[in-house]
Amino acid sequence: MFKININPIIISYKKLRKTLFSNLFNTIISLLIIVLISVTCVNTFEWLIFKADWKVVISNLPLYAFGSFPPNEQWRPATWIISLLSLSIFTLYGPKWRWLRKNLLILWIGTIPLGLFLLYGGVGLSPIMSRYWGGLTLTILLTVCSSFLSLPFGIILALCRQSSLPLIQRLSSIYIDAMRAIPLIAVLFFGQLLIPLFLPVGIEIDRVWRAIFAFTLFVSAYIAEDIRGGLQSIPNTQIEAANSLGLNQYQIIQFVLIPQALRIALPALTNQSIGLFQNTSLMAILGLVELLGVGRSILANPEFIGQYIEVYVWLACVYWMVCTIMAVLARHLEQRMTINQTNF
Amino acid sequence: MKINQKIFLQLGISFIFFGLIGILINNLTINLIRTGLGFNFSWLFKPASFALAEYPLPYTSSDSYAWALFIGWLNSLKVVISSLILATLLGTLIGFARTGKNSLLRLISAGYITIIRQTPLLLQLMFWYFVGFLGLKDNMFIQIKNIFNISNQGIEFSGLTFSSEFLALLLGLSIFTSAYIAEVIRGGILSVSQGQWEAFRSLGLAERKGLIRIILPQALPAIIPGLTSQYLNLAKNSTLAIAVGYSDIYAINDTIINQTGRAIECFIILLVSFLLLNLLITNTMEIINKLILKSRKYS
Repeated sequence: MFKININPIIISYKKLRKTLFSNLFNTIISLLIIVLISVTCVNTFEWLIFKADWKVVISNLPLYAFGSFPPNEQWRPATWIISLLSLSIFTLYGPKWRWLRKNLLILWIGTIPLGLFLLYGGVGLSPIMSRYWGGLTLTILLTVCSSFLSLPFGIILALCRQSSLPLIQRLSSIYIDAMRAIPLIAVLFFGQLLIPLFLPVGIEIDRVWRAIFAFTLFVSAYIAEDIRGGLQSIPNTQIEAANSLGLNQYQIIQFVLIPQALRIALPALTNQSIGLFQNTSLMAILGLVELLGVGRSILANPEFIGQYIEVYVWLACVYWMVCTIMAVLARHLEQRMTINQTNF
Repeated sequence: MKINQKIFLQLGISFIFFGLIGILINNLTINLIRTGLGFNFSWLFKPASFALAEYPLPYTSSDSYAWALFIGWLNSLKVVISSLILATLLGTLIGFARTGKNSLLRLISAGYITIIRQTPLLLQLMFWYFVGFLGLKDNMFIQIKNIFNISNQGIEFSGLTFSSEFLALLLGLSIFTSAYIAEVIRGGILSVSQGQWEAFRSLGLAERKGLIRIILPQALPAIIPGLTSQYLNLAKNSTLAIAVGYSDIYAINDTIINQTGRAIECFIILLVSFLLLNLLITNTMEIINKLILKSRKYS
C-alpha cells in the first residue's frame, strides 16, 4: 500500500551528481551558482515586497497604458487592447472550428482599422488628435501598423532584387543595402525632421504616421532579405513545373513562389516583428510618448524623482510579457504552417 | 519577356523613379529657400562654440564644427571597439556555458539570454546609467589606495578616467550584444560534429582544453559571419548613446542641428561616418576570416 517507488529518485540523484558534481571544478562552479542564485532571489524578493515603493507604478497605471488620452474616453484604447489580447488567447486556446480558424487571419487584420477607428474617433465617437495618444497603446499601434505595412513592401523589394531586369535589381539592392547599413535612430530622425522638408508647402503628416512610415522604410529592407532567403531556397524545379502547367509569370509569383517563401521565412519574420516592438522604444528619444516615453515623463515628475529602479523593472516586465506573448503566437503559427504542409 | 518589352518596362520605371526624386528635391529646395538656409557645407569650418564632456584628442569650444564631428566619430569608435571586445569575451563565456555539461550553468545562461533579448536595449542602457552609475554615491564609492576609484562620476584607474556615461554605454552594449553573440557561438559549436568531441575525449584531452583547441577552431568559420553581423549591429546600436548623454557622432550631429538647423547636411555626414565605421568593421573581419581560413589550410 505504501510502497514508494524510489528508483526515479535515485536515477535523478545520479544524473544530478553526474552533471553538477562530476569533478572539482564543476562542483565549485555549481556551489557558487547555487549560492549566487539564492542570494539574488532572497534580495530580489526582499526588495520587491518590502523596499520597493510601487506607488509610482500603481498610481500611474492608466498613464502607462494610454498616455494622456482623455480620461473619460479611455475605454476606447482599453477595448482595443482587450480585443487584441482576447484574440491572442482565442487563437492559442480557442475551439478548433474549421470555419472560424480559416477566417482568423481576417479577424487579425481587422484589428488594425478597429484600433485606428477607436483611437481617432469619428462616426459617433468624439475625434481625438494623435498627440494625445501614448503609452502601451501607441507602442502596440506603431508595431502593428509598421509590421503590417512593411510586409508587402518587403515582398516587393525581395522580388525586385531577384528580378532579371538589371535596373530594378540594382535599385532595390542599393536601397536594401543602404537601409541595413544605417542605424534605426537615423531613419527615425529622418522621419521626424526631414520628411516635412521633402513635402510640398502646406502638406503635413502627423508625427505618429511619420514614425510608422520611417519604421516601414527600415523594417521592409530587413524583411526583404529574409524573404529573399526564402525565395532562394525554393528549388528551380518548382518554377519549371509551374511553367509546364502553363502558369504565367505573375501566377507563378503569386501561387508558387510567395506562399513557399513566406513559410520558409516565417521564423525570421516573427523575429523581425518582435524586434520592431522593442525598437519602438527609440521613439521616446524622438519625442513620442510611447511606453518608455511615459516612464521618462513620470521620472521627470518631482513627486516620483529618483525611483528609477521601480519604473525600469516595471517597464522591463511589460516589454518582456508582450514579447513573450508575441513569441508564443509566432510558435503557434509556425506549428500550424508545418501541419498544413504535411497534410498536402 | 521580349527584349523590347524589358527595355520599355525599365525605361518606364526609371522615368517614374527619377521623376519622383525630382519632385522631392524640388520640394526640398523650395523649403530650404523658404527657411533661408540653402545647402552648403561652409558652416563646417566655423567655431562650434559648444563644449564636449569627452574628447580623446584636444578640443575646445572654439574649434570648428568639423573637428567636433571628428571627435564624435572617435568617441563612437572608442565605445564600439571596447564594447566589441567585452561583448565577445562575455558572449563566448556564455556560449560555452550554454553548451556545457553543467545543467545549472546551462539554465542560468539560457535565462540570461532570454531576459536580455526580450527587453529593449534603450531601457537597458537607461537602467545601467541611471541606476547603475548615477545611483552611486557622490563621494568615492569604492576606493583602493587612489589606484582604483568608483563613484557616480565614473571609474578612475591609475590615472585613466572613464566617465559614467561611457561606462554605462559600454556595459549596456556589451551585455546586450553578448546575449546575441552567445547564440552565434552556440550555433557554431553545435555545427561541429559529435565525433570530434568523442575523438578528443578518447585521446585523453581535458574537456576545456579540447573545447578551445579542437572544437572552437573548427567552429570559427561558422561563427565569423554571424559575429560580423552582430558587430555591425553593435556599431549601429551605439547611436543610442544620446540617451545617456555620451557625445558620440549621432549626439554631436543632433547638437549641431539644434544649433544651426542644418538637418540635411548633418544627415548626410551621419550616413557617411556610418559608412566609414561599417567599412572598417567589415574589412577587419574579412582579414580575420582570411587569416583563419589560411591557418586551417596549412596546419
